[in-house]
Amino acid sequence: MRTKFTAWLKTIIFYEILIGMKATIKHLWHYRPITLQYPHEKRTLPDSYRGMLSLLRYDDGTEKCVGCDLCEAACPSRVIKVVSAEVPGEPTKRYAKEYYMDMTRCLFCGLCVDACPVDALGMTREYEWAVYDKRLLRLNKQQLLAIGDRSYPVREKRLELQHPNVAFFNVAFQHVPPKQT
Amino acid sequence: MAELGLKLAFSVAQIAVVMGIVMLTVMFLTLAERKVLGWMQDRMGPMEVGPYGVLQPIADGLKLFFKEDIVPAGANKFLFSLAPILALVPALIGFAVIPFGPNQTVELFGRQFQPFVISDINIGILYILAFTSIGAYGIILGGWASNSKYSLLGGLRSAAQVISYELNVGLAIVGVLLLAGSLSLVKITEAQAGGFWHWYIFAFPFPQIFAFVVYVISAVAETNRVPFDLPEAESELVAGFFTEYSGMRFAFFFLAEYANMILVSCIAAALFLGGWNAPYPGTLLPENLAWVEGIVWFAAKVYFFLFLFFWLRATLPRLRYDQLMRFGWKVMLPIALGNILVTAIAAYLFPKG
Repeated sequence: MRTKFTAWLKTIIFYEILIGMKATIKHLWHYRPITLQYPHEKRTLPDSYRGMLSLLRYDDGTEKCVGCDLCEAACPSRVIKVVSAEVPGEPTKRYAKEYYMDMTRCLFCGLCVDACPVDALGMTREYEWAVYDKRLLRLNKQQLLAIGDRSYPVREKRLELQHPNVAFFNVAFQHVPPKQT
Repeated sequence: MAELGLKLAFSVAQIAVVMGIVMLTVMFLTLAERKVLGWMQDRMGPMEVGPYGVLQPIADGLKLFFKEDIVPAGANKFLFSLAPILALVPALIGFAVIPFGPNQTVELFGRQFQPFVISDINIGILYILAFTSIGAYGIILGGWASNSKYSLLGGLRSAAQVISYELNVGLAIVGVLLLAGSLSLVKITEAQAGGFWHWYIFAFPFPQIFAFVVYVISAVAETNRVPFDLPEAESELVAGFFTEYSGMRFAFFFLAEYANMILVSCIAAALFLGGWNAPYPGTLLPENLAWVEGIVWFAAKVYFFLFLFFWLRATLPRLRYDQLMRFGWKVMLPIALGNILVTAIAAYLFPKG
């Protein structure tokens, strides 16, 4: 009886609506916006942020990429197209004559970076890549190297100058101290 | 002839001032609504145009003014153009009888005139009810003339909703009219002078608190605001009856909605909360400045209602259509009718001295 009366009373004084209105006015009173005025202020990115892809160089300016096509094989979205060729005058060495990335398809999974045996690919922290023309997102080797140059100012030494184990499995043996020269 | 010219000049000046104030209030409301809604939802609202986004209404107005005016193929061009005007004019015309400040006459250029009410006609409230009903035609015709299923559905919903809730508004007002014994908004407001216990929401023979609640809810429904915004339900009908409208015609509907909000707030303030009367007897300011106090109190009451509109919008989800109809006919209507009955008996037992 009593609960029924309370329920009726709550109905006629719009109890639930008043509770809701109290909640909204509380937020108005304790105004703490979570908005970030994006172009003016930006979020701090996490350390493991996977942004724009780039090609890297050694510290003497030569390209790291050996044109092995493993990134092309690893890519689930077929972003990457590598045209491999011999280094002129050095029959044992190969390099990427042409290297294309169609960033309209890229899903930034990072599998190509993992697949690269010589660490020639890197993910930068760039994300503002909105363009008016979709074709501008099909990047060639020079563009990718330029992105790498501006995002990775500190470069590694050439493979030949590193510890032999590191040189072979560049990623897995990073704790091994490099060879003193 | 000169007499007539002077009268005309006074009227035109008064109308211009009132329209200007209403339009400025509408501009302010568009910003205030977005800001208040943002603050209640832990957002900032518009922040880009001007400091803290205060120039946003001007930017919106300019944008709407320069937008292309599209008439959809298959639309009835005449009715399509007529509908926004038919929606806006009744919303603005109602302000002619709203008393914004104390009922006093001022002598200017050898003529008596009342500065705070454009025309004090003896059927003021009836006039407003009649014209706001015409506003529904604008919405229905706009929905029908657009030749679009969403617009038509929005217009039809609006028709049903406005008819249902217009009735409740009318019946809720009747209690006040019984107590005041007049249809003139000026006389009704004057009858509530002398402290908040004389306001009709608390008045002696029978407090009109139920009528007040019915009126406020019905007013929200009549102006097509959340939670009764079925005619323009974004998630169901794109934008409802003005889906096909663009540019200044869209702006007219927009203005009409906000002008209607201000109008119903003014009526609520005048009928239930004592209009320009302060909640204490008399005035604090000296006699010749009493009108300032009156206007401030009136504005405060109106803005309280407008804030309530925003507050409800931030809080409540939209009603379902059958809930809307059931609430209007099975809950609001009996309460309003019962209120009339009890008020009539109370007014008979305790006639005004």
